[in-house]
Amino acid sequence: MARKISMKDAINEAIDLEMRRDPTVILMGEDVVGGTGSPGEADAWGGVLGVTKGLYAKHGKRLMDTPLSESAYVGAAIGAAACGMRPIAELMFVDFMGVCFDEIFNQAAKFQYMFGGKVQTPVVIRTMVGAGFRAAAQHSQMLTPIFTHIPGLKVICPSNAYDAKGLLTQSIRDNDPVIFCEHKNLYAHESDVPAEAYTIPFGEANVVREGKDATIVTYGLMVHKALEAADALAKEKVEAEVIDLRTLSPIDWETVIESVENTGRLVVVDEAHPRCSIATDVAAYVGQNAFGALRAGAQMVTAPHTPVPFSPALEDLYIPSSTAIAAAVRKTLASEQEAGGRRRAS
Amino acid sequence: MKSTATIDIVGFAEIAQGNSPLVGIIANPVSARDIRRVIANASSLQIADRANIVLRVLACLRACGIGDVVMMPETGGIGRHVDRGLARARNLGEQQFPNVHYLPMRVGGTVDDTHQATKAMVRAGVAAIVVLGGDGTHRAVAAHCGVTPIAGISTGTNNAFPDHGEPTITGLAVGLTVTGRIPDEIAFVANKRIDVSINHGAVREIALVDVALVAEGFVGARALWRTENFRELFVTFADPAVIGMSAIAGLLEPVTRAESGGLAVRMAPLAQSRTVVQAPIGPGLVSSIGIRDWRRMPGEVPFVPGVADGSIALDGERELSFSERDQVVLTLKDRAFRTVNVSGVMRYAAKEGLLCSTKALLDAAE
Amino acid sequence: MANNPFPLSREDLLKVYRTMKTIREFEERLHVDFAKGDIPGFVHLYAGEEASATGIMMHLKDNDRIASTHRGHGHCIAKGVDVHEMMAEIHGKATGACRGKGGSMHIADLSKGMMGANGILGAGAPLACGAGLAAKFRGDGSVGISFVGDGASNQGMFLESLNLAAVWNLPVIFVVENNGYAESTSVEWAVACDSYVDRASGFGLPGVSVDGTDFFAVHEAAGEIIRRARDGGGPALLECEMVRFYGHFEGDAQAYRAKGEVEDLRARRDCIKNFAERVIEAGVVKRDELSAIDREVLDLIEDAVGSAKAAPLPTAKDLLTDVYVSY
Repeated sequence: MARKISMKDAINEAIDLEMRRDPTVILMGEDVVGGTGSPGEADAWGGVLGVTKGLYAKHGKRLMDTPLSESAYVGAAIGAAACGMRPIAELMFVDFMGVCFDEIFNQAAKFQYMFGGKVQTPVVIRTMVGAGFRAAAQHSQMLTPIFTHIPGLKVICPSNAYDAKGLLTQSIRDNDPVIFCEHKNLYAHESDVPAEAYTIPFGEANVVREGKDATIVTYGLMVHKALEAADALAKEKVEAEVIDLRTLSPIDWETVIESVENTGRLVVVDEAHPRCSIATDVAAYVGQNAFGALRAGAQMVTAPHTPVPFSPALEDLYIPSSTAIAAAVRKTLASEQEAGGRRRAS
Repeated sequence: MKSTATIDIVGFAEIAQGNSPLVGIIANPVSARDIRRVIANASSLQIADRANIVLRVLACLRACGIGDVVMMPETGGIGRHVDRGLARARNLGEQQFPNVHYLPMRVGGTVDDTHQATKAMVRAGVAAIVVLGGDGTHRAVAAHCGVTPIAGISTGTNNAFPDHGEPTITGLAVGLTVTGRIPDEIAFVANKRIDVSINHGAVREIALVDVALVAEGFVGARALWRTENFRELFVTFADPAVIGMSAIAGLLEPVTRAESGGLAVRMAPLAQSRTVVQAPIGPGLVSSIGIRDWRRMPGEVPFVPGVADGSIALDGERELSFSERDQVVLTLKDRAFRTVNVSGVMRYAAKEGLLCSTKALLDAAE
Repeated sequence: MANNPFPLSREDLLKVYRTMKTIREFEERLHVDFAKGDIPGFVHLYAGEEASATGIMMHLKDNDRIASTHRGHGHCIAKGVDVHEMMAEIHGKATGACRGKGGSMHIADLSKGMMGANGILGAGAPLACGAGLAAKFRGDGSVGISFVGDGASNQGMFLESLNLAAVWNLPVIFVVENNGYAESTSVEWAVACDSYVDRASGFGLPGVSVDGTDFFAVHEAAGEIIRRARDGGGPALLECEMVRFYGHFEGDAQAYRAKGEVEDLRARRDCIKNFAERVIEAGVVKRDELSAIDREVLDLIEDAVGSAKAAPLPTAKDLLTDVYVSY
């Protein structure tokens, strides 16, 4: 039975159902309960934006507030995972990854390989990503490409409530370390979500809009911007196909290639910075493996090569807009090249 | 342990011939780091706090006119923090502290450093040695100080011997004493000691407070807390107001530090004892000990314990192992070494108005 | 045979000797083979430090977890990791403990509770907290032990872990193996408060310092601390003051040490020699029993080296395996 709930509630539900199902699932992070040691109410916050509110009442000590010690508690979650638990560690803002990155990329990501396949690390690190909250440079980044770069990590970034619940459930049940990225500007976004537990496999992109004229590949908040752009383009009789990657590592190359082979035109949208982003990653991969299908060079739409600005006037310019996405699609259509890059005789 | 260090103390003889008497300070960085921190509620004085105590003493010595002090060097960090305090005062142009000279000796990080430092300070002619440590540190100094008096400050876990008073006052009392303002009979008190001899002097050790014979035959983490293994106890004084072995005796029959002789106690398994003492044998640690009997231990009378084999703990720490093949003899010595009578000195100073003169003390020193 | 005055049985005393000797001979052999060019990469030798690993591991079972350092061979051997598999791993062979994919600095065996040697100093401390957390949730009385060196005790991860373990009352022991040098930097300079025990106090857990070259001192202190942690008494810090005979890594000329320092330490503070003398003098063990163990250990190492050299290297397909459990 599906009903409309927010992505925030869908995430809460996924955690609740998995904690009921598996006693080794525990959750820790700063203020995930809130009020620990304070004289006021327990579960005072339930996470800085209330995502984990109510879980303490149901699962008690399996939810733990932590001191401000990311490397210690993220490391402890990783260590506990190697010892047979299924911990979920919340890294409040992905921007804080600097203080615990070693435990993530040198420890968790590498145990399986360095130890010859003998150690599993089923840890989930949930973290908030994305701009638009006027939270400024150190609380608004994506940084998803950095995690995607590391072999041994899986990187997930849902764009809606339904995907969030299924992918988080999958993440918790998965036996590899998972970075689960939650866009803070999507917490309120609602969609139909079944009440029971379900999983969505990793490495399966979702074609959220079909179209034959151009392929827009993206993830997270940008999926919605891409759909807006597609609506605008439809008025010009251009039908854009929008692919929601859902998981960045593993990534569903097959769906992307198949779509580009149909449309011949590719626009990749990434809210992260332009250098070494998901946009460059996908564009280069398609350029190498499906060059023959391309009728124009791939276009990349990203945030600028700047920190996230504070002033709303500037932040709104920072975040890639649906206008910019539509313009990029038009650019691919304006190209004079034939498929395979041969110039059309003019 | 054979000593191989040689120490050049030429420079200090010259200092000692200067205007003011030389005082020695031995501060042990390693005391109170042992297993009692885990099995009892022992506190540990941090290195920085020990350095502060040294600075307090230094300031008071200076106030009494002492110009030079020799210190034992150590690698535990006390010297480093002390130097920072001295440097800060110099930078501010203050005359707050005497000149501090570290003995030119190699630091091994063991109790032998204390032995060597004490001998060097005695050779240099110090008028007194101020000691920061527990019973073990004080014992190490007392073994080599000869007639040089000691002023003890407690910074260890097992502290039956040294004073628990404010170190500032200890510094002041030492300063007044060594500058000749206090008559000897008030400034100094005699302290007792138990000499331990194994196999006719093949091994010689001393204890300042207590010698305990326990059934544990090895010297592991050294502290004493398994009361079921206690067999015999010999104390130089039996004080109900201290912690450690002396408390066991003190709760049976108090014997003061001033009285001649000590106490010898024999233990028994709890089930077979008519007398059971609940004694504070460690910080926050009250244990029941079964007592068979006890008697006075007069000075100069050799005692042979009835325990065939086990360990001998000196001042609360297991130091020696022995078996039935070994001959152990314990002899108490009255008047074995001198300590500064801090409270006595201060009362005398008050009575005689020593610190109430119209001229500042420092005038006399300069 | 005299009465045994030690808190371990005769069999255990022989086991202690065998363990320490195995570590020593393993490391001495690597020292020789490395100089010959037989060993790829870096090795960091534990020779001289055997009493610390052995004294602590004598109290642990397979479900107690340890997180080690880059200088991890001693911890591995004392925890029961297979010597043949270790040697093969160091040679980069497919029969190694990590199938040749980890090397000396990353040997692990979770079946023996060995969470891995670690190339990132201090990283083991949070991992050991994780082991303690898992132990707490399971209620199985197991503990986590984090080994760090004097240098790594300055790492933020380590200090954060002290606080976390104290706040959550985790059954974790932090062992600072203080051998006086962090690579080439003396601990006298690098540790501002001069005392790990003081650091522990500052973070709200008790600290104990022992002579790390005295097996019995380590064994007794570790026993009390571990028992306390198992009983819910919480974390503690154990400083083992010790010496390393070799450099930070093989190839380190140790110019930062005083002339004659190492020779003097080998003469005065060899933990295995000192242990042997005590148990022989107490009449509990005979010298020729120990000599027999010496020969068996040398045979074991020789056999391990032979097997390692003869073992196959991993192949090209092994390059891509075990990145994920499933992808």
